[in-house]
Amino acid sequence: MWLSLVGKDVVVELKNDLSICGTLHSVDQYLNIKLTDISVTDPEKYPHMLSVKNCFIRGSVVRYVQLPADEVDTQLLQDAARKEAMQQKQ
Amino acid sequence: MSDSEQGQETEDVSQRQWPENGEQWSDGEDEADMDCGLQAMAEEDEEIDLHNDETFGMDLDANETTGEPRNGLLQFKEPPSPPPLCPPSPIPTSVSKPAAPPSSHCTSPPHRQRPHFLPQVPPGQRGRGRGKRGGLRGDQMFEDPAVMRIVEGRPSLKWMARSYRKTRGIPRSILQDNAIVCVIDGHGGRGHHMTSNFLGLPYPVSSFRGRRGAPRGPYNKRVFTPRGPSQMHTSMMPGSPILSRQPLTPRQHYNQTGAFPFPLSRPCPSTPQSLNPKMMQLRFGTNSPRPSPVYSPSSNPVQHLRYPGPVTQLHPQHKRLLSQKKHASQRKPQGWDPYCNLMTAKEKEWITRLQMIQLQTVSPYLEDYYYQEYYRRIEAKLAEEELGIRSKREPPKLTTPYITKTDSYTPVVHIEGSLGQVAVSTCYSPRRAISAVHAVQAQAPLEEQKDTRQQRLEVLSKIEKLFIVLLEVEEAERMKATAVGEAESRLKEKTQRKVENIYSQLKHHDPSDSGGEFLPFLLVSKGKRLVARLLLFLDRESALNILHVVTSNLPTLMSRDTDESLPVLYPPLRTVIGGLTFSQLIGVLKDLTTSESLTTYECLTLACQNKFGLSLLYALLSQGERLLSSGVPLEPSIGDFEAWTDTIFQVAGQLSQCSLVEPLLLPSNLLTLFCRYLDKRTVHQLKSNMESATGFLALMS
Repeated sequence: MWLSLVGKDVVVELKNDLSICGTLHSVDQYLNIKLTDISVTDPEKYPHMLSVKNCFIRGSVVRYVQLPADEVDTQLLQDAARKEAMQQKQ
Repeated sequence: MSDSEQGQETEDVSQRQWPENGEQWSDGEDEADMDCGLQAMAEEDEEIDLHNDETFGMDLDANETTGEPRNGLLQFKEPPSPPPLCPPSPIPTSVSKPAAPPSSHCTSPPHRQRPHFLPQVPPGQRGRGRGKRGGLRGDQMFEDPAVMRIVEGRPSLKWMARSYRKTRGIPRSILQDNAIVCVIDGHGGRGHHMTSNFLGLPYPVSSFRGRRGAPRGPYNKRVFTPRGPSQMHTSMMPGSPILSRQPLTPRQHYNQTGAFPFPLSRPCPSTPQSLNPKMMQLRFGTNSPRPSPVYSPSSNPVQHLRYPGPVTQLHPQHKRLLSQKKHASQRKPQGWDPYCNLMTAKEKEWITRLQMIQLQTVSPYLEDYYYQEYYRRIEAKLAEEELGIRSKREPPKLTTPYITKTDSYTPVVHIEGSLGQVAVSTCYSPRRAISAVHAVQAQAPLEEQKDTRQQRLEVLSKIEKLFIVLLEVEEAERMKATAVGEAESRLKEKTQRKVENIYSQLKHHDPSDSGGEFLPFLLVSKGKRLVARLLLFLDRESALNILHVVTSNLPTLMSRDTDESLPVLYPPLRTVIGGLTFSQLIGVLKDLTTSESLTTYECLTLACQNKFGLSLLYALLSQGERLLSSGVPLEPSIGDFEAWTDTIFQVAGQLSQCSLVEPLLLPSNLLTLFCRYLDKRTVHQLKSNMESATGFLALMS
């Protein structure tokens, strides 16, 4: 699912309440996220991010990742999760 | 001290392994020097010089004529005479002997001149042992004409040592130092052919002490003039009496040089481009790739270098999407990122390859089901669009019937039955502490509520189990295309059994339960989805049964459809309706209009108010019209036509009066149907009413 979202715009909310909007560049097994062309979504109370274009976010500090609704097929995702659960049981 | 050092030097000379030599240059030694004073330092310098001389054939020191004072910075100019004038004979002797005579010979000028330069050591350099020596060193070098010659003709690591000790505290990129460049060139740019290089080098690196490990200081840019390799080689050749010495093993050589160009492996944008090819030659690992010219990944954010490359395998549809995006965004002006090429493209690819190896799978459909399926569906959709299979009439939103709700931000959202709070974006307001016990509705007594919840959970878990079976069925359906003959029939059997199993489980959930068969499942949105997908596999009878259940309980279903998931049932049910006979159709219509608690009127009203209900109604009417107009013998039962016309009138009355919601699909033959039975005025009214609901001029008159 993450692979299908590469290249799409997401908003990552961190545990420190910082929200970063950017294009998803890559994800790895720990859900570390690389974003390109980022901007801080909410009122830019965090001006130290002004010059940053790309960033690498460690997976453990992410609270949420807001995905574009039309890019995610929830039914398909449910099926995939069921299949995975099935495999794990076996 | 000098004796011991000389002795040590002998060892060094004989061993000729520069790591050992390097220890001479350790800081501990420096501290000792400092204690002994400048004189001691000078002596040590002398020893170092001596060793260097012997190693590099510094008997050229004999020609010390130029004694021009310098101001502490190395400034070499072209010596008038060609390189080494001193006879080669002393050199071989210096190899084996402790070289006392040459040392005296060579170092006498320094001795003589050192005192002059002692005071000139910049105070700033006193803090470090090396600095002190360096200060002396540099001045010393100026005095030594042989030194100058050497510099001119043979830039060598030895000079690195000297000038390095000299210059300090000037933070400058090593890459900018021509001296280093020269040395690299001098190695011929062939990192792997050290022995051959070595022969070309009159000053073997064994005596390159002081450069062990990472190079520490910057080099004065003006120390050396850059030389082309050919020039250096030719100029080095005269000094080749050294060749008789035992060369370093390539490995040792490589070790030293490998160490010092380490920071050079990062080509900075400030480095002149021409130097890069030469610097690339030295590598510190067999597998690490060669750097490429400057590349900036950040300038094009969508340019996913990793992915479209040969390393990653994307679904072709995905690739296409990404490349489209890339083309679209490449019009942006490309900015320069000064930190862009810390890793070369090859290095990145290498790492990517490693990561991709971990992701390789033999069964992508199993391990990456979502991705494969998602893009397959997108492809199928596109293909469909291209071929124009869709009929123009049907609006594309057939499969997405949901009404978008206006987003109202509530910081705490609680869903019945969920644990704690549902996650809502908390950036606008701080999260409230999760309440351990949420407010329980006081209406129903606790037991009953538990029971309801229990039942619901049961239903949900059953649905999940059935879903797994359904997924297997769907998988088998997919495999059917590939299966042949016997395997296919076996497969068919299996799937059929599974389907029946699901059906029966849905049917006979709990006889004591309210609502009868199927209903508990249909009330849950997940259950609706399950049934919708199952309907595709069911036989006529079972499908009809389900349709019957749906229509009979339509009011209930509609009222309890909180998350608007009923429309998911519409497409399969429409297919079922499409296969109804006239009598069956009448039966269904009767179900729709008759209910225990409600009158027909109320039923119809409710249906009209609900998207799904209205669509279902339309579908049924449309089917009837189709049957009637098709000319196929209908074989109606008694009273069918009456029921039919009755229904028509009732529906027409309803449709013209109440406000209609937008249906999922508006069949085209409805007006035709109404024209058949009703007068024009009513038809017009109906038409306008229906059109206003749908918002488009859909129907022909």
